[in-house]
Amino acid sequence: MKLNLRRLPEYLVIWVPLLLAAGQIVTFALWTTWISFTSATLMPSGDWVGLKNYTNVLATRNWKIAFDNLLIFGFGFVVLTALTGLFLAILLDQRIRGENVLRSIFLYPLALSFVVTGTAWSWLLNPGMGVQKLVNDLGWTGFRFDWLVDRDMAIWTIVIAGIWQSSGFAMALFLAGLRSVEPDLVKAAQIDGAGPFRLYTRVILPSLWPIVIAVMVILIQTAIRTFDLVRALTGGGPGIATQLPALVVYDFMFQRGQLGRGSAAAVLMLLTLAAVLLPYGIWKYVQRRRAANA
Amino acid sequence: MQKIRRRSVLAGAAGMLAMPKLGRAQAAKPRLTAISQWSAGSDGAAISALGKKFEERGGIWQHSPVPGFTTEMMNKLRAQILSGDPPACSQLKGPEIAAWSKIAPTVNLDAIVAAAGYEKVVAPDLARLHKPGGKWAALPLQIYRTNTLFVSKRGLDRAKADKLPTTWAEFNTLADKMQASGMKYPISNGGSRADDGQKFEACLAGISPAAYRAAIMNLDAKALKGPEMLAAFVQLRKIANWMDPNTAAQPYAVHLPKLIAGEMGMMIQGGWAQGVLLNAGFKLDDFIIAPGPTDNGKPVFILNADAFIFWQRKEADLQEGQKLMAELVMQPAIQTMYSQITGSIPVRTDVDLSGPGWSDGQREAAKTLKDAVAANQVVLSLAHNMAQENGMTAAMIDVLTEYVKDRTITPEKAVTRLTEAVEGAR
Repeated sequence: MKLNLRRLPEYLVIWVPLLLAAGQIVTFALWTTWISFTSATLMPSGDWVGLKNYTNVLATRNWKIAFDNLLIFGFGFVVLTALTGLFLAILLDQRIRGENVLRSIFLYPLALSFVVTGTAWSWLLNPGMGVQKLVNDLGWTGFRFDWLVDRDMAIWTIVIAGIWQSSGFAMALFLAGLRSVEPDLVKAAQIDGAGPFRLYTRVILPSLWPIVIAVMVILIQTAIRTFDLVRALTGGGPGIATQLPALVVYDFMFQRGQLGRGSAAAVLMLLTLAAVLLPYGIWKYVQRRRAANA
Repeated sequence: MQKIRRRSVLAGAAGMLAMPKLGRAQAAKPRLTAISQWSAGSDGAAISALGKKFEERGGIWQHSPVPGFTTEMMNKLRAQILSGDPPACSQLKGPEIAAWSKIAPTVNLDAIVAAAGYEKVVAPDLARLHKPGGKWAALPLQIYRTNTLFVSKRGLDRAKADKLPTTWAEFNTLADKMQASGMKYPISNGGSRADDGQKFEACLAGISPAAYRAAIMNLDAKALKGPEMLAAFVQLRKIANWMDPNTAAQPYAVHLPKLIAGEMGMMIQGGWAQGVLLNAGFKLDDFIIAPGPTDNGKPVFILNADAFIFWQRKEADLQEGQKLMAELVMQPAIQTMYSQITGSIPVRTDVDLSGPGWSDGQREAAKTLKDAVAANQVVLSLAHNMAQENGMTAAMIDVLTEYVKDRTITPEKAVTRLTEAVEGAR
């Protein structure tokens, strides 16, 4: 391959930061993996202990609860956020007046950090001062909405706050997708006599698949690394009922002073993430090959 | 490597330039680099006052507070140790002193401590924590009692009671009475992990300080399954049922107005709550401070203490600064000044608290400490990281906080889970 010297600045600008960033990520991932096999406690050094940290982490109630919660939260957050976003996008897609204002309103929560979201919802959802108290004070004294302090339902309060924060983002992507559907296709369907419902289910939504997948992948990786939202909303409680893997990692590493175990938990998280992202990567690759061959 | 060599060359060059001043530098002016999390409120005020005293004695005070959680202060400490540049002294407490003293060399304070005759005025269990390997490496700064009972004056009137509970049985009777008077939640509590752990330690130590020492401080496998543990979990369940379940992750302070108004009756909390109450505008005669219930008739003191650990430095001025700092924090006058600002009690058991500037609560706590030392009933707080290293503490508190929040866990099951958690974290 002939190196075009005139394009050298471009190569430098793109490749140097990219390699540095990639090198940093890979180096630290490998380092963390190495530490996860050692007896490191307060300092990142120690003797080789094999899989001991892993068996130890996997045996703790904290990790088990965190992983169950990840499944519930991941499923609830991803599916419901995507559905809410899609619903909002379809409504906005009706060429209504004030679309820009509404779009800004729905997108606005994204501008807030998860910490702010969590804190605000912890007040709203607190039975003693939030929604429940408001409804009770209005006269419906039997009304109960105490999920925040109910250890079985508390994880769903995090889902609610997560949906509120992220559905605007899903909406924006879906709306862009809806707008990019071939107008001719829509016209043709309308001429053939398709009603609005059939138009969406049969024509428009099927052409949205790539965006659905992209939204899902972004939401899933958000779900897996969720930390600040839980920290602000429930603090992992009641008890340890709303632990998530990221909290467990932080807890082991910095609060318990067990770097080895924390690293093992971090590697387990990385594996979970890989389990989601690898199939997506393969799917993308296959798609591209198909497109190239077609 | 390259970098370090260059730096030492630069330092050497700077040293050459400073040559003429060397004569003065040898009489090293004491300088102290310190890190702590105390930046604001009464904690910040107290450490600033200590810094003033340090400067009055001709020292250079270089305190870098790391506000926020203790873990953030520890991360900074870890980074400084890793880069070979530890502060001359840093905040650290409990068994973490021993754990951290293994990763970097600390100063041997034995001579200074002996010269001040300090050891005989410090509770023995507390002294032990600051002597990893038998040598003084850290010095405690102030003490708090975690099993302090705060009783609402109006709550007491409302229940038509006049006697403060001294045993758990009396405590339970009073709580029942308060509830019968229409108080929905007689016990005020926060929702944090430490709050839940603190209720448990108050139960167990009140039932049997000996069992507390064996099970919680020494992790004796038999004591962990002992009848006192079961009794403590039974008592903890009673307390949990009297608490407002709508507390979520909020701090205990959110309930203080209700406690003072008599909508709640009692609170088991650390001595620091007194400062919080007064800062919130309540008066000393709105509430009564009493020792936590104890079943064997002798006072029990669950101890929490803040401390400074001293890291080895080669610089003459820093070494002088460490000496001066150690000397200062052992002085009765300095401890008086510090505790009067924060609401704690002095580490020394020989400080006179009869003067103005002390509250009845502080006087009572200091007297209880002295009596508890005499009765050998001072124990170290689990919930505030004094009894075990952080890893073990967190594993145990997991069980305790889950138990408080989940009524379906039986006391028997809690005992089993605690034993398992201890085994898992060993």
